[in-house]
Amino acid sequence: MADVTEARQGPGPAPAPVEIRIERVSKAFGSTQALAEVELGVRAGEFLSLIGPSGCGKTTLLKCIAGLVPVDAGRVAVGGRLVTGPGRECSLVFQDFALLPWATVQKNVEFGLLLRGVPAGERAGTARRWVGKVGLGGFEDAYPAQLSGGMQQRVGLARALAVNPQVLLMDEPFASIDEQTRRLFQDDLLGLWSEERKTVVLVTHSMDEAIYLSDRVAVLSPRPGRVHQLLEVPLPRPREVADVRATAEFARLVDGLWKILRKLQ
Amino acid sequence: MKIHTLRAASVGAFLLLWEWAARVPISFNFPSPGQTLAALGGLLVSGALLRATLVSLGSLVLGFGAAVALGVPFGLLMGVARPVGRVGRVYLDLLIALPTAALVPLVILSFGINVLSSAAIVFVFSAPFVAMNAYGGVRDVGPRLVEMARAFDASPAQLFARVVLPAALPMILAGIRYGLSRAFVGLIVAELLLSPFGLGRLIMLSRSMFEHDRMFATVLWTLLVAGAALAALGRLEQRLLRWRT
Repeated sequence: MADVTEARQGPGPAPAPVEIRIERVSKAFGSTQALAEVELGVRAGEFLSLIGPSGCGKTTLLKCIAGLVPVDAGRVAVGGRLVTGPGRECSLVFQDFALLPWATVQKNVEFGLLLRGVPAGERAGTARRWVGKVGLGGFEDAYPAQLSGGMQQRVGLARALAVNPQVLLMDEPFASIDEQTRRLFQDDLLGLWSEERKTVVLVTHSMDEAIYLSDRVAVLSPRPGRVHQLLEVPLPRPREVADVRATAEFARLVDGLWKILRKLQ
Repeated sequence: MKIHTLRAASVGAFLLLWEWAARVPISFNFPSPGQTLAALGGLLVSGALLRATLVSLGSLVLGFGAAVALGVPFGLLMGVARPVGRVGRVYLDLLIALPTAALVPLVILSFGINVLSSAAIVFVFSAPFVAMNAYGGVRDVGPRLVEMARAFDASPAQLFARVVLPAALPMILAGIRYGLSRAFVGLIVAELLLSPFGLGRLIMLSRSMFEHDRMFATVLWTLLVAGAALAALGRLEQRLLRWRT
């Protein structure tokens, strides 16, 4: 396992996607029980969304997978490795982008590679390639404050993917982005995902987004969060926002998800 | 362009006010702008002013240099190690609240009367502000950035060097700039009270000889030197923080 991790630093081929196993995971913050015995398996290469009422622990669960929040009970395993802290398997994309304001787009995308000791030349090349892949070619030397929210999140996505993780964890990545930008970005995300075949876990508030992007949607119950229901999304791939949203099948799936969520409120 | 015009106008207004103050008999021998500028020219030509300035700048560089060299690391340590911060800020608050001039006799007692004692007073005047801002800068680092770096499995050293330090830099630099203005205050207080050298001595000397034009010229010169130093530091700050615009 260790040498696999080493080999992933470079711009080489993407590593095989891995599965995530969440077994009887509980987590409390003080007297607030955030998660209660959560059971969830994410298949290798799957796009899974976590959705649920506000405060149901979606983000906490995501951070448990990332190793940022230690679990009180139960276990999380990514690709067979027990998660005990942040590791190299997972990359995170944040709702508020979490870009370094003093660093250019290029340097922001290089950040993860820099922390992992990738030599400067290779770092610059890999980052430049990813800046191009997320559609920001030409903006390498811009600072985050000079970019729109959508562009900033593209930087966040490029930074996450540049380290070539096996798992991409996204915490409401489109929540602070306007609707038009969001739809284009979602298509680009699906395009990148079909090339890279990473395991993706997406936390979202949007039912449309969950249905459109995911293979499966995990609906969490209100606090303390546990998986209330797993919903399969049998929409064919590749998907395009404009086409998929117009279908009766899409409407039926969103309606089904809404009926589940409404009962939970 | 507009701001330059406004600044020039404010200087002009100040000179007019000064001229007026010199004409109405506010006090005996109140020097006019013209007299003051003439005295300034005389002092510059004789070399007395430059010699005094060099002596003063010696104390300033020594005291303020030490304030930055020790204050910034101490402030950073306070920010990183919470217990040090909790204890340290009590002392800093005291030093900031204290009328610092009250420490001058103590400094004379410890160092005697020499360049080192002026430097010590400059240090006491400026270091608390430098340290306090560095401390505040570290405490204000966005928790999301820290979390982001942690998610990339950053080591504590990486977290400090790549996130905490650059995030705190704007406040550190603001503290240094404010510390410099405090350092000039400390310098003149020290020299007025200790007296044997520098710009402060020149001010006291002129006063005792009733050469009020020379006294004013020295004060004006001190303002110019301090203003130039602050402006230079401000420009350096802007260059280092280009990303903010």
